[in-house]
Amino acid sequence: MTETTQRSRTASSAAAVVTEFFDRYRAHDVDGMTDLCSMNAGFSYVPVEIWGKQRVLRGDGKVRTIGKPLWTGLIASFPNLSNTVHSIASNDDGDVVVQADIEGTQQLAWGLVTPAGRHYREPHLFVFHVGPDLLIDDIAAYWNDAGISQQLGHNEVD
Amino acid sequence: MTTAAQTVHMFLDAFARRDVDAAMAVVDSQVAVTVPPFGLNEKGADVLRAVLADQVRAFPDLMITVSRVIATGDVVTALFKAEGTQGADYAGAINQEKHLDIDQAWRFVAAEGLITEVAAYWCQAQLYRRLAVKRYDEVAIA
Repeated sequence: MTETTQRSRTASSAAAVVTEFFDRYRAHDVDGMTDLCSMNAGFSYVPVEIWGKQRVLRGDGKVRTIGKPLWTGLIASFPNLSNTVHSIASNDDGDVVVQADIEGTQQLAWGLVTPAGRHYREPHLFVFHVGPDLLIDDIAAYWNDAGISQQLGHNEVD
Repeated sequence: MTTAAQTVHMFLDAFARRDVDAAMAVVDSQVAVTVPPFGLNEKGADVLRAVLADQVRAFPDLMITVSRVIATGDVVTALFKAEGTQGADYAGAINQEKHLDIDQAWRFVAAEGLITEVAAYWCQAQLYRRLAVKRYDEVAIA
């Protein structure tokens, strides 16, 4: 007889999944971050918004199609990218809210910001949902992108 | 007994009615206020009152549409969209009567019917873009 151990979703286990997510993010393990998410996990980085003449690009979609390239690009542009988690609040429904600072020193272009070797550190609020299978099925994040631009020496409101 | 979520709902309902006094009625006098877009990290009801009053004054038709309220113990997080037409200078931006729509997340801590902490997250780049501001170092120049 095979004995299987399966954790049930509680506020504590949901928070543990998200804590692991930030640990992997700090280690630049993008595949590992993605592995903590369900196949169809939703993704919304609300401040990501690029206005063109005929269209607006937004950081909305799925973890695997939008989130993963964004995380990979961020780490490429900010090779020392890191995070500091200040608070995690969760409930038994799988909602997890995280206050964290994201910081890094720019080495490559990021969006329209040319690299000048400057460092940024900006407070973020992340809202996760962890499913009953203990996989993250939704990520949303809010921060002040103007703060990042200004810290990097980019003063144009693009 | 009023739950933390109920307290936050009362605050948001009042803010949506542009009734700053009613919103502040459920706020502790020593509330901790963090507003990263303003670099604000202070204590006191007057600080939060100024944040709300400035928005209501600058956007007389301000509309708050709450999409989610997430209760996680005494922490309550509200996701909402703020919309309005600029009617006065705001955050250094001169009034050009532009329309604004900004998705925001506010994280509250509430206990015993009063809000004791507020952290408000939105993107000032999105806000300035909609108000036709061109540069962060020349916000007041249209």
